[in-house]
Amino acid sequence: MLRLGKKVIVLDGAMGTQLEDMGLEGCPEDFNITASEKIKAIHRSYSAADIILTNTFGLNKIKYRGAFSIEEVALRAIENARAAKKSVFFNIGPTGAMLKPLGTLLFDGAYSAFAELAEITKDLVDGYFVETFSDLYEAKACVLALKEHADKPIYVTMTFDSSCRTLTGSTPEIVANTLEGLGVDALGVNCSLGPKEMESVVKRLLAATDLPVIVEPNRGLPKLQNGKTVYELGAEEFGYYIGKFVEMGVSVVGGCCGTTPEFINAISKYSQREVVPRTVVKKTAVNSATKLVEIDGVKICGERLNPTGKKKLKEALINGDYDYLVDEAVRQQEAGADILDVNVGIPKIDEPRVMAEVLQRVQEYSDLPLQIDSSDRDAIEAGARCYNGIPIINSVNGEESVMERVFPIAKKYGAVVLGLTMDDNGVPKTAEERFDIAKRIIERAQSYGIPRHKIMIDTLVLTASAEQKLVTETVKALRLVKALGVKTALGVSNVSFGLPNRGLLNKTFLTMAMTCGLNMPILNPLDGEMTGAVRAFAVLSGEDENSEKYIDIYRDFTPAAANSTLAAKGEDKSAATLYDCVKKGVKGRAAELCEAELLRTEPMVLVNEVLIKALDEVGKLYDSGKLFLPQLVSSAEAAKAAFEVIGKRLPKEGSGNGLIILATVKGDVHDIGKNIVKVVLESHGFSVLDLGKDVPPEKVVEAYQKNKPLAVGLSALMTTTVKSMEETIKALRAAGCTSNIFVGGAVLNSEIAREIGADYYTKDALEFVKVLQTIKRQV
Amino acid sequence: MNSFDLQPLIHTYLGYKGVKPDERVDRLILSCLEELEKIQGFRYHYKIFEDIPAFLQKEPYLSFLTGCSAVILCVCTLGAEVDRKIKYLQRADMQKSLIFDACASAYLERRADNFEAGLGKNLTYRFCPGYGGSDISDIGYIFDLLKPEKIGITLLESNLMLPMKSMAGVIGVGKTAKKTCGNCFNFSACEYRKEGTTCYGSEKK
Repeated sequence: MLRLGKKVIVLDGAMGTQLEDMGLEGCPEDFNITASEKIKAIHRSYSAADIILTNTFGLNKIKYRGAFSIEEVALRAIENARAAKKSVFFNIGPTGAMLKPLGTLLFDGAYSAFAELAEITKDLVDGYFVETFSDLYEAKACVLALKEHADKPIYVTMTFDSSCRTLTGSTPEIVANTLEGLGVDALGVNCSLGPKEMESVVKRLLAATDLPVIVEPNRGLPKLQNGKTVYELGAEEFGYYIGKFVEMGVSVVGGCCGTTPEFINAISKYSQREVVPRTVVKKTAVNSATKLVEIDGVKICGERLNPTGKKKLKEALINGDYDYLVDEAVRQQEAGADILDVNVGIPKIDEPRVMAEVLQRVQEYSDLPLQIDSSDRDAIEAGARCYNGIPIINSVNGEESVMERVFPIAKKYGAVVLGLTMDDNGVPKTAEERFDIAKRIIERAQSYGIPRHKIMIDTLVLTASAEQKLVTETVKALRLVKALGVKTALGVSNVSFGLPNRGLLNKTFLTMAMTCGLNMPILNPLDGEMTGAVRAFAVLSGEDENSEKYIDIYRDFTPAAANSTLAAKGEDKSAATLYDCVKKGVKGRAAELCEAELLRTEPMVLVNEVLIKALDEVGKLYDSGKLFLPQLVSSAEAAKAAFEVIGKRLPKEGSGNGLIILATVKGDVHDIGKNIVKVVLESHGFSVLDLGKDVPPEKVVEAYQKNKPLAVGLSALMTTTVKSMEETIKALRAAGCTSNIFVGGAVLNSEIAREIGADYYTKDALEFVKVLQTIKRQV
Repeated sequence: MNSFDLQPLIHTYLGYKGVKPDERVDRLILSCLEELEKIQGFRYHYKIFEDIPAFLQKEPYLSFLTGCSAVILCVCTLGAEVDRKIKYLQRADMQKSLIFDACASAYLERRADNFEAGLGKNLTYRFCPGYGGSDISDIGYIFDLLKPEKIGITLLESNLMLPMKSMAGVIGVGKTAKKTCGNCFNFSACEYRKEGTTCYGSEKK
């Protein structure tokens, strides 16, 4: 009888090592059928263990290349494991393929491989043992598949390296927070390291979760002898370390690569021992695959990925131009956001699909944890499902029907839920009434199995212009709610709506709220005054120890720079004019000086007399080998920043030099060259539609037909992808493309360019611009 | 690893044809290397083959491997986080992304060299399919033989590897061949030489 978490459970040892000793070589899973007696004998040799794992580590439709069907092998494997007359857990290993965007496997592809296993085995095993996973996202796919297709205990172990990270960069805390959120029964670490090297991972897991922790080390670190992997650690020493782990509070112990029955016999004495109790302080924490943010002190949630009142963002969502959203996410991260709110709610949009797509795109670039902001149940679920980590769901309120819709999703995906203190009757006036709703939300959440630390409360900000007397109620409610032991959030900038100098009110209100226990202001991080107030508060509240972060940010502060929205950290201060800024590549100041210049100079004069001239000089220096790519790029970025400022002043039509479509062709993922071209083109006043990388010909054609650009620029780095470039050009010509087609990239030259039907080969970004300018003059 | 040792190679990658960059770029290089150290997850995977695998039984590999008693096939990577950082920087700060990218390439090169130094003395330099007239699709054979998926590398149909900061190579055993211009099969076509530098990099001689 297994009593997980109460009594120590002992697992079996390695299968591969035993197969090797028996001289069995080939597909290990097939031996379940072709050498079933031997497999049974191995299982029996581990009879000192409490759980026997089936010999199915490589059995999934993505990895398995054996001679039988998945079902045949799975069934025989279970039968073989039963021979040991112990609890049998079905062993599941990773697919061996990396999930997108790190590889090519889709999340749903991984999911279906694991779901197939669950369907075959759900009534035949005592549980599932998911092990040696190195990618948190794949582990999530597996856990969801097992939960949705079977109803048995799920144990999951992941592999960490000696720096306590998984292959894809997740720490023990991130693994624990995510797997615990997904509702596994036990979690831990296996393979790759020996018991001694595993100690710090084990300690960190034990501190991060109150779930039972599993430890399954290799037999020490392997040595290579005559091309063979050899393990040398003795069973007694192995047992000594396992004993230490048991004393630390580990619940499940076993052996991975290199361990034999001797090792399991050496640790079998721990079986049925009382698990050593430990206290774990539960934290409100959200995480991406590589970053965990504990909601404590004050954490900034960036609010800019929200189409409300933002025309450009709305357009971007309608057109599927997610690049715009990625840029907005990156800008907020650069400005100091800790978490990003994502809202894609506009009329007539397929919100679940767009939510999933946007979350996936954003998490490809930004490692900040995300907050799914929607009132559409399906959009919330689509987002929570595809998110690689633990998100915040924004939001529920005191309405029964809303909680009924959202809590089951939050529970299933382990999300933190933001609860708004309002209900069917609207926002109550007094702090006490809002406190009551908060209490109700927390209680209802608990009835769904969502613990208190997974709830945050928003006591709701009303505008000072309309409801002046209620502003203090919001703040007072924060204090009351804190007594419930939950973290708090507020959308602070609502307070100033309808009043002049909104920034001043926002900042003042933010400070009031932080003093009363606000943990997560939802605000615009690009507003330096607001993020500044948060940083200052962290100093004054003692959170920012020794004011280290504050000093780091404001080290170069001068009162003159105070109005600048971008912290011009470390930028060259000798750049006193716009011309110098562009020449020297001082981006932050370029925008600022451009604003100032526009007060006395006509936009087009500024473009022709300053920006173009500066860029020309940079170009000449670059051509003559006196200035190099890094400076060229920073000059281009400075000019682009200035152009953006000017662009706002110019009438829409005829402002630009023309549209250029850029793409790295299908099959190629190198896009740094293309991105440099983009910045340089933009710096010269061209507008660019960037289709990204690995772009199929159809997509280029579609963009061409829709936009009829001045030119199409295609990039390829490899000889293999030049073919795909040729196909793209053919497709464009077939569609009647009359625009100039430019090609570039490491393997190209003008000869190849001619052969594949391009109009121009340009060796670098600057030449691209020069040719374009010549073309424009001729038109 | 000493960051200063890597600088000449990074300068080469950034296109400084033997000229020393200004101080600001060098400062940025140092800070990029510092960040890189924190997020990189260098992994190296290799196998020694006593019999030269079939796909190497052709030029230019054969001349490269003449006199070798065995061959090592290897793959290595800096891991997914480095790729993501570069992607992020391309949005946040193009100049820094360029420098970070060059730092990562140089760093990977050096870590692989250091690892190989531990494999024995009598080795050739690491030759990567795709260079010197060899067929880049030969990387597929290396993947079949090594299964480097376990260290997180995926080979795309176009023979590119993900993460991008990954390398695959062939090393001859039992013959010393240092990376010099003389024994390189890209000798005649080399872009670096035209500009008076070398790919294995140093300041202008």
